[in-house]
Amino acid sequence: MTDRDDHCDDHRDDQWLVARIVSDQDTTAFGELVRRHQSQVRNFLRKLTGDIAMADDLSQDCFMRAWDKIQTFSGRGSFIGWLLKIAYTTFLQSKRKSKRYAEILEQVGHVTEAESRSYAVQSDEVIDLEKLLAVLSDEERAIMVMSYACGLSHREISDATSMPVGTVKSVIYRGKERIRTSFDIKDHQHG
Amino acid sequence: MAEKIKDAEDRLLESMFEVAPVPDDGFSALIVRKIRRRLWLRRLAVPTATLIGGAIAVKPLTGFLIAASSLSSLLPQDIVNSVVALVPQAQTIVLGAMLLAACMLGLRTIED
Repeated sequence: MTDRDDHCDDHRDDQWLVARIVSDQDTTAFGELVRRHQSQVRNFLRKLTGDIAMADDLSQDCFMRAWDKIQTFSGRGSFIGWLLKIAYTTFLQSKRKSKRYAEILEQVGHVTEAESRSYAVQSDEVIDLEKLLAVLSDEERAIMVMSYACGLSHREISDATSMPVGTVKSVIYRGKERIRTSFDIKDHQHG
Repeated sequence: MAEKIKDAEDRLLESMFEVAPVPDDGFSALIVRKIRRRLWLRRLAVPTATLIGGAIAVKPLTGFLIAASSLSSLLPQDIVNSVVALVPQAQTIVLGAMLLAACMLGLRTIED
């Protein structure tokens, strides 16, 4: 059996579990879906936030929202694509909230910690991937991670981010350019 | 990645973005526990609210019925007589209706 066949079987299995959840409110079936996809969702949010604890909190919110909205999953795309869309929305909302919170703190004269929430790599011991992600904007980071870490197609990324496929492609191109210029990847291109 | 034609750079980026899977470590069980707790709270919320609302509403509702009965002089005597016969039982009727509604919702919750 090829990887593609495995992917299709997983997709069908996911749909079967979703059907059980929608018809019976089956929490065990949902638990199985969480167990299957938690790693990708948590890794995705860890890369977006750069903060493990925050990413895990957002992952919990993401799965709770997924439970509430499960009947809106049409089954046309992959379940992980749909899930990452919720994860990305959760991340953006949390970022907006923390920005508003920082503005309020600034207004009352507190030293803001908001900037520390943004993806900043200061330590000398950061891993390569973190260095790589630090040169990208939030949007580029999300799309590059969806594409290269989660293996989503351009169409699935387009669905997840509500962007046209052309825009997704140009964001990936821009991200690659930025990584290429920052890390001199051209030298390793054929290596 | 079906629609993408991977070049060497794509493969390099994939290897750079590759990270170890995050172990579940009770994460999925935690989510399921949270959802089950939320479901129970939702199922309990309606019967509880009905009981509390009913308990609060019994007294003013009875008072209203008694006040309405004082207008009986304006109505024909035979209608008044039948209503007056019901008024002393109004409190019991309202309470009974509330309990019936709560029991039906409770049974539905158990069925679920």
